Amino acid sequence: MRAEFINPFVQAANAVLQGELGEAPSRGEVRLQSSAYTTNDVTALVGVTGQVNGVVLFGMSQKTACCMVSRILGQEFKEFDALAQSGIGEIGNVITGRAAVLLAEAGFVSTIAPPALIVGRGTMITTLDLQRLVIPLETVCGAVEIQVALKVALAARVPANGTGVALAR
Amino acid sequence: MVKVMVVDDAAFMRLRAAKTLEEQGYEVLQAENGAQAVQIYHQHRPDAVLMDITMPEMDGLAALKEIRRLDPAARVAMCTAMGQQAIVMEALKSGARDFVLKPFQPDRVVAAVNKMLS
Repeated sequence: MRAEFINPFVQAANAVLQGELGEAPSRGEVRLQSSAYTTNDVTALVGVTGQVNGVVLFGMSQKTACCMVSRILGQEFKEFDALAQSGIGEIGNVITGRAAVLLAEAGFVSTIAPPALIVGRGTMITTLDLQRLVIPLETVCGAVEIQVALKVALAARVPANGTGVALAR
Repeated sequence: MVKVMVVDDAAFMRLRAAKTLEEQGYEVLQAENGAQAVQIYHQHRPDAVLMDITMPEMDGLAALKEIRRLDPAARVAMCTAMGQQAIVMEALKSGARDFVLKPFQPDRVVAAVNKMLS
């Protein structure tokens, strides 16, 4: 996991959550994690492919999820129904999309897959040999944890000889 | 009544855009993928289209080209979270009138539609 992947996600999450919720989130300490992730009530997953590959997870409680979609749509969601699920998937999609634009500007062009959602806590997600960068955020609706598990694809990787010349395919 | 078609595979985003536009007095048609958008455009000829890019069945760029083939005067604005230059350029080259970056704010959606209709 490269440190340069942190900022695109922090910036994208800040911009999107501030725009959507009306207040910028505060950020806790970013950390690296290798052990499996045990899901909170709601986890949105967004796949990334291209010059960087992997997955980005957005975990939160159901209360936080309902609060976020209620604020965005301006109508109260008491249950985490299909429409609310669609809303949380989109938040994950938009944050990852924004981060992908910033990653592209840094030289890592990639695209994102449609979001998927895991509803229900206690599921173990392992990103296998990929370490995850964990970005804890405190939003006006509660805690949201972003887990970024990305690696540079072979074609974009700088060779070990240190020439700084990327391998051409 | 002026008809606007909102195309997005996420129900939440369709509802959100539709709500914003209906409050402005527009009649809103909804499609959940590019193929459905082309079909609805053919049947109802909306005055403006607001379309996502990443969608199943047929993506927004393919649907934009198909709609512009059906109606070279079609007014279509693309909206996406992926504002990379290559995608923006392809959309504009294919006839998109505007590009709205998600998350879209209500006034930005209304401005994009009003601009297309002016």
